[in-house]
Amino acid sequence: MAKKEKSYNESVVELKSILARIEKEEMDVDDLSAEVKKASELIALCRGKLFKADEELKNVLKDLEHE
Amino acid sequence: MTEAREIFSLFELNQAVREAVKLQLPNRYWIRAELSEVHPNRNGHCYLEFIEKDDSNRQIIAKSRGIIFANTFVLLKSYFEEQTGTAFTAGIKVLVSVSVDFSEVYSISLRVWDIDPNFTLGDMARKRAEIIRRLEQEGVLNLNKELEIPSVCQRIAVISSATAAGYGDFCNQLENNAYGFVFYTKLFPSIMQGERTEASIIEALEKIYVHADLFDVVVLIRGGGATSDLNSFDSYLLAANCAQFPLPIISGIGHERDETVIDHVAHTRVKTPTAAAALLIEQQARTLGELEFLQRGIAHRIQSLQQQRHALFENICQRLIFIANFKTKTMLSNLETIRTSFAVAVSRFSTGKKHELSMMEQYIQLVSPQNILKKGYALVLKNNKIVKSVNGIQVGDDLQVRMADGSVDVKSIKK
Repeated sequence: MAKKEKSYNESVVELKSILARIEKEEMDVDDLSAEVKKASELIALCRGKLFKADEELKNVLKDLEHE
Repeated sequence: MTEAREIFSLFELNQAVREAVKLQLPNRYWIRAELSEVHPNRNGHCYLEFIEKDDSNRQIIAKSRGIIFANTFVLLKSYFEEQTGTAFTAGIKVLVSVSVDFSEVYSISLRVWDIDPNFTLGDMARKRAEIIRRLEQEGVLNLNKELEIPSVCQRIAVISSATAAGYGDFCNQLENNAYGFVFYTKLFPSIMQGERTEASIIEALEKIYVHADLFDVVVLIRGGGATSDLNSFDSYLLAANCAQFPLPIISGIGHERDETVIDHVAHTRVKTPTAAAALLIEQQARTLGELEFLQRGIAHRIQSLQQQRHALFENICQRLIFIANFKTKTMLSNLETIRTSFAVAVSRFSTGKKHELSMMEQYIQLVSPQNILKKGYALVLKNNKIVKSVNGIQVGDDLQVRMADGSVDVKSIKK
């Protein structure tokens, strides 16, 4: 089974901790680029949730009345 | 003996009663009563029945018929409904100004001239207060308010009449939101006015409850149509259901003035369905704002880290250049010193040599035959060869004597 997608809130929590980590200034350049990559993935995920329609959910809601 | 009896006809009696009523109750009187029947007829007149119940609210202790004539009714009804947000209908309590009319045929009837909507409002407020007190005692009044509208709030269960203009407005506004947020709406149709409102909304809530995990929020909208008939929303049962519902409820029942009990227990109350949509869009905008704030924070942080690193790197470069320059200068200067000493050494050396040379020159000059001749010596040559011994000379030889300033030919005469 596919791994469950991170929820919006989980993503935001992770973004906050990334910010906290890079604010501590003890980060290696290599680690920094990994964190930046992770952060941009999370931001894309969050924006996706806000702006992209989830067809699966749409169908679930549409089918509710047939129960 | 027969007493003389005075006999009246019914009409005569009723006439007398009418006179008596007119005499005894000549004015208009403000009375409070409950409307138990309201029947507008085709001519525009409205026939009423007033009742009053005892304190236990069970026993009817007074009852009278009443009428509002068409020309009065038209004005009173709209005035009343506009002021109270309630339909002029059976079941409400009213304060009305009446005159007592008696007709020989229809008996007593109260003719309504004026109405005071504040009394009805007060009564409704009292009822609402009663319900709210009860919910409070049961500890459920604020339960829905204590729920949190999730930061991503996009799955919306809508309770509305499917045909209501307000429902259409709500959906349109959500769909066409300026940000391009995605929302999922699901309508749970319900009757939103009249006696069946309460049961119908509760039924819709129960359907949503079964699928509560599919939704973030419930929106209750009623928009469009008359602002009257909000009585149905002042229901204990409905309020109790809403208060204890596991999802936050946004009520947009569509009225300006009064707060119904539903508005009171709902998580958030807005005035119109459009406002409900605006609220949901704003909520998403706030969430987006927070996300963008984080994004900017991270970007800014990374930029400043890079700048710091760049500055550090620059600094190291500068220092390297400085040190390199310094070292080079030192070396150059050392080299210069060496070169100078070398030059000195060389010059010293060549001076020494020059001196030696001149000594040698002097010496050579000193020992040169020319110089020796100058000192008074002379050379004897025989056949142009230097003669170094007398043995090489015979008597009679021609010899040449060379001195510093010239030579003379001589002859050897004795040995």
